[in-house]
Amino acid sequence: MPTNQDFVSKVQVFEPHKASLPPLIPYVKEFWSRRTFAIELARFNDKAEYLGSRLGKVWLILNPLLLGIVYYVVIVIIRGGSDHNGLTRLNHLLIGLFTFYFAQSTVMAGAQSITLGGRLILNQAFPRTLLPFSCAIQAFREFLPTIPVYVLVLVVGKWIYPATQIAGISWNFLWIPFIIVCIAFTAFGLALLFATMNVYFRDTNKLLTYITRIWMYLSPILWLPSSLHGKAKLLLYVNPLGPALTANSRVWIDDTGLSRNVIVGCIFWAVTSMCVGGYFFISRERDFAIRI
Amino acid sequence: MPEGLAVRIEDLSITYKVSLESKRTLKNALMRASLRQESRMRTIEAVKHMTLDIPHGSVLGIVGSNGAGKSTLMRCIAGILTPTQGRVAVNGKISTLLALGVGFNPALSGRDNIILGGLASGLSKEEIESKTDEIAKFADLPDGFIDLPVRTYSSGMYGRLSFSVAVSMTPDILLLDEALSAGDAAFKEKSFERMRQLCAEARTILIVSHALATVTDLCDEAIWMHKGTMLAQGKPDKIVDEYLKFLNVGTLPSSYEDM
Ligand SMILES: Nc1ncnc2c1ncn2[C@@H]1O[C@H](COP(=O)(O)OP(=O)(O)OP(=O)(O)O)[C@@H](O)[C@H]1O
Ligand SMILES: [Mg+2]
Repeated sequence: MPTNQDFVSKVQVFEPHKASLPPLIPYVKEFWSRRTFAIELARFNDKAEYLGSRLGKVWLILNPLLLGIVYYVVIVIIRGGSDHNGLTRLNHLLIGLFTFYFAQSTVMAGAQSITLGGRLILNQAFPRTLLPFSCAIQAFREFLPTIPVYVLVLVVGKWIYPATQIAGISWNFLWIPFIIVCIAFTAFGLALLFATMNVYFRDTNKLLTYITRIWMYLSPILWLPSSLHGKAKLLLYVNPLGPALTANSRVWIDDTGLSRNVIVGCIFWAVTSMCVGGYFFISRERDFAIRI
Repeated sequence: MPEGLAVRIEDLSITYKVSLESKRTLKNALMRASLRQESRMRTIEAVKHMTLDIPHGSVLGIVGSNGAGKSTLMRCIAGILTPTQGRVAVNGKISTLLALGVGFNPALSGRDNIILGGLASGLSKEEIESKTDEIAKFADLPDGFIDLPVRTYSSGMYGRLSFSVAVSMTPDILLLDEALSAGDAAFKEKSFERMRQLCAEARTILIVSHALATVTDLCDEAIWMHKGTMLAQGKPDKIVDEYLKFLNVGTLPSSYEDM
């Protein structure tokens, strides 16, 4: 007969929750100990999505690339012809789109992960943040191969137009990991927020398709951050991805370092989004199972 | 928690909140707010004031009609639902096989689903990978199905796979909700064997089943749940007998009338 001693370290107590947040340190520990689950879930979902089609993965790159070219053509037509900055414009557009897609798919897929996770949520106990987290990882896995594509466009472009001012590889590239981490946190926080909303209001996701579209037009992707002056510059800072996308363009296109405002903006939005989204999600996740 | 108890349930109540709106959408919520309507909610008391102690090494059967609250109780013990009132203390590692299994990606192979299932229940990648072959062998799916997408499985094959994953976790407490219903006779025999083995290792098992023979065969204790309350507790034969009588007659035995 086993004694209580064998099990004593493992006693778990479930009680009605009074506090709005569960104890955070055990929560984070539990999350961390199951991170492999989120990583593997992302890997397997990726695998399942493209199991049938050889061309599948290529679409991930082709889609933003073609879209970038379409937008570029539209811009050239609206401006009435290309100028000597054409290549800069195209590159700015491409890297902006690639990066924005990473954020967008983190938010969109993450927002649905809870409502689509039905059986898993009803039948397994684990920190629910793992599901949106897994979507963020999957979005990152899909984002990575677009970087070499961008570099290829850059190299070919520079070879055709040697006179272009666009930057090559430089020390400023060291900012890139910082920018990507900020974008990842900002998007993950928003994913948590919208995932929670989606449990209560099932049309959130429909709304989100419009929100992300408007969000893209308001972000410095189709236009250069330097084209805003005076009060309009505020637009770059009220947009959660504004500072990060500005930074992105500075580093990749202008080959300059980041201004203090931009750095503070990036960090501000990453932290704010994680805190707000995390609070909403974690304080309500214990209700997900009875509402799904 | 006293020595030798696996699960202690004290005055447990669980309520579901169900919205009566046809669609819970932001649009409807805004419409209601602008018309100053209350949202129509209904509460369903799935489990009411239940108290129960389950010692280590016991095999407890739970019987009751549809909607009695059996699955709800299991989900609460597994930590998936939080109690509305009362307290549940659980002593040991839990493995669950609740209705319908875990169900990951139906486009993935059985083998991939085993790995995801193991990771979801908290095993490390090395642990589950070292067990995959053993699990696949136990599930004993017909030729090569283990490497085919799960969507090509019959429900029994799916049930076999889920059961094999659940028992392989070497849990201290195993929760089975309608887990054995889909398997064929051969697999049933094999899974009974495995559960007896788990009992012999002094693990605790909770079985919800509408196949009453399962309860009488495997369990050494049984409870009967009715509309969220525990009507009776006792030897499986006795409980199943009373439950069957109730099913045939359709009224509760007079001794329970006042409950
Ligand atoms: N997700 C849910 N949302 C709202 N109500 C629910 C939910 N799940 C169960 N209920 C309600 O809770 C009550 C108990 O359900 P439960 O699934 O625990 O019954 P059960 O004993 O497992 O029944 P069965 O034998 O059919 O599996 C039922 O009245 C049911 O309508
Ligand atoms: Mg049930």
